[in-house]
Amino acid sequence: MPSQPPLPPLLTPYLSTQPESSLTLISSILGATSNWLVLRFLHAALGASSSSNASFGLDELPNGIKRKVVLVSFLRGWEFWRAEAKRLGLDLARLADKHQFAFVDGLSELFTSADAAPIAPSTNTGGAVRISLPLRSQPGAVPGRGPPSTVRAGRSANGEGSQREPGIAKKLHFSGHGVASLDAMEKDIISVIDQQKTSMEDGDELILVIDQPDFLLAATGASMGIGATEMAEWVTGLQQHVHATVLTMAADSPLIHNASTAGNQLSTPIETEHAAFAIGMAHRARSVMQLRTLETGAARDVSGVLRISRGGGWTAEAKDILVERELLYYIQRDGGVRAFGRGES
Amino acid sequence: MSFRKRNIGLSAGVDRATIPNASAQPASLESGPGIRPSPDDGRPTTSTGAPSLDSLLAGHAGLPLGKLLLIEENGTTDFAGALLRYYAAEGVVQEQQIHVVGVPEQWGRSLPGLIGTAESLEKKSDRRKDDKMKIAWRYERLGEFGAGIAGSRGAPAPAPAGEQDTTAKPAFCHAFDLTKRLTHPGITNMSFIPLVPSRGSPFGSILQKLQAAISSSAPNSVHRIVIPSLLNPTMYPPDACQPEYVLQFFHSLRALMSAYATRVTAMITIPLSLFPRSSGLTRWIELLSDGVIELCPFPHSADAVATSGAATSVEEPPQGMLKTHRLPVLHERGGGSDQNVGQDWAFILSRRRFEIKPFSLPPAEGDTEAQDASAPGGMPKKSDLEF
Repeated sequence: MPSQPPLPPLLTPYLSTQPESSLTLISSILGATSNWLVLRFLHAALGASSSSNASFGLDELPNGIKRKVVLVSFLRGWEFWRAEAKRLGLDLARLADKHQFAFVDGLSELFTSADAAPIAPSTNTGGAVRISLPLRSQPGAVPGRGPPSTVRAGRSANGEGSQREPGIAKKLHFSGHGVASLDAMEKDIISVIDQQKTSMEDGDELILVIDQPDFLLAATGASMGIGATEMAEWVTGLQQHVHATVLTMAADSPLIHNASTAGNQLSTPIETEHAAFAIGMAHRARSVMQLRTLETGAARDVSGVLRISRGGGWTAEAKDILVERELLYYIQRDGGVRAFGRGES
Repeated sequence: MSFRKRNIGLSAGVDRATIPNASAQPASLESGPGIRPSPDDGRPTTSTGAPSLDSLLAGHAGLPLGKLLLIEENGTTDFAGALLRYYAAEGVVQEQQIHVVGVPEQWGRSLPGLIGTAESLEKKSDRRKDDKMKIAWRYERLGEFGAGIAGSRGAPAPAPAGEQDTTAKPAFCHAFDLTKRLTHPGITNMSFIPLVPSRGSPFGSILQKLQAAISSSAPNSVHRIVIPSLLNPTMYPPDACQPEYVLQFFHSLRALMSAYATRVTAMITIPLSLFPRSSGLTRWIELLSDGVIELCPFPHSADAVATSGAATSVEEPPQGMLKTHRLPVLHERGGGSDQNVGQDWAFILSRRRFEIKPFSLPPAEGDTEAQDASAPGGMPKKSDLEF
């Protein structure tokens, strides 16, 4: 099979235009994950500046607008994103050095304390109230390197770097209770956003990608004072600081459909809160990109279905062109993605 | 081509294994006991102790290091427990460190006994297959195609198998006998992490111990985390199944495994009858796992030979269905392109092996020819192809 362009042509219009203060919601399920689409968003925003051969005329922006991305990931670590982006030809470590990209790690130390020694007793935050946020020594700084960083960047990202875990701008910690703990994380993320903004010119766009914030809701829940409303406010708080936001969320049927009381089984708080959060986000989103598997069962040449629809936040008067459509996609073994309509190939 | 010497044949030095992965892991890790690079992308993998489960895992022919496999089981049987014992026993034989959570040390004494390498068992069954009459060989080849890339490792072509014999390569996967008990010096590498009653999360102390054990071990040691029957109320306190405890535990486990991505694998079983897949909590546990496999044993497998889909009278009837909901690495990348996904699988647990094969409903009674044709076979021999 021929190698595919990093951005499937049919998807390019959806990936590369993000109007001001828009929210894009990507919903995924167990068998159809969203990582590949997030990577396409990253490529659409950063690809033009990353690849020296700008032969893909599509992702070049007019009038020299630069784009930056802050990626907050709760389920996947830096290594995963770096390795997968590399398959697309996107060197995230180098982009992080150039302050075009920042990774906020919500995986490695979210629920374990940030003490330097890994053997240190890591108390799980099961109700323990820790008032002070464990701050790291270098808050929010992309590990600074000297000017010849382009040479060293690739090497140090492979793990031998002298800096602690290069590429990761910040690690999030969940501590304390309820809204206060969310606020602390919000502050952390905003500090990274502000860091990126310092090197921005007028007209540059900063895109915030939050990978599965719904996990935060599921793993804390009402007993820790966090519900769908708090999460929605948390997202709003972050949205205010950036040009556009991309959210990924799980939309498996147990998480969405159990919440309705129509079924005869009782729904648990984790289900009702998740459904409220996800549906609330869909109402605010400009577009909803829904990933799911084929209803007719697995096929050899189709990985899943991508449905792009207007969300509740889409407004007709803004001359916003967003064509709703449903595509099939296929992820090849080499990581390339083909998107095509039903019946085409 | 002018730069190439004419009289030298194309060398086999351009080995296929190294080309697709420019970002290969350090060689020192790959050469550890029981670890080999994946034929798909070269990442280090280790065996689950059951060859047919290895070949199911999305072309990696093993469980990639740093990945967590969740095995769910319906009903009151303990097939998942048998898989878990194979997994632990394989780790013992490969001298990896095993951390067993939540069960007493008796569990470690019930590991199945070693009877040789997986290939030695494979050869015996191959001979049996050769004896069978071959009908409609061309369809048989289609069956082989269906088994796909993953199968190619399981049934190596004759030539490489001979090579392996001569070089006496250390075995990747072993065969175990469930009726025997494992005696191996490596069994002392097992550590048991009990559940300590505590206020707050019951998983806090488990994580601490896992982290301490892994971080204080030698930098080239490989670990296996074994958690039998997670959230089973006979072992876990009632509040363990609160989402904030168990999901935070899974998240921290994920963090731990990504921090030691080339040294840790984990296998966890969970009883689905208590935590059905239709519940939000179970779905989140699945979402936090790298691989999700569901076992659905047939209710009365002993007396249901006729109805449960035994392809021939020679073969044992399957004892249940196996569903793959998520496979490591493949689904993280977007999923769906593997030939093994979405197929119906049946499993058979016998004394010596846990076998997974495509499930097919039996043809009508008496239609034995069609049954033979549908039996999955190896590559047709050269003699079969020539007229």
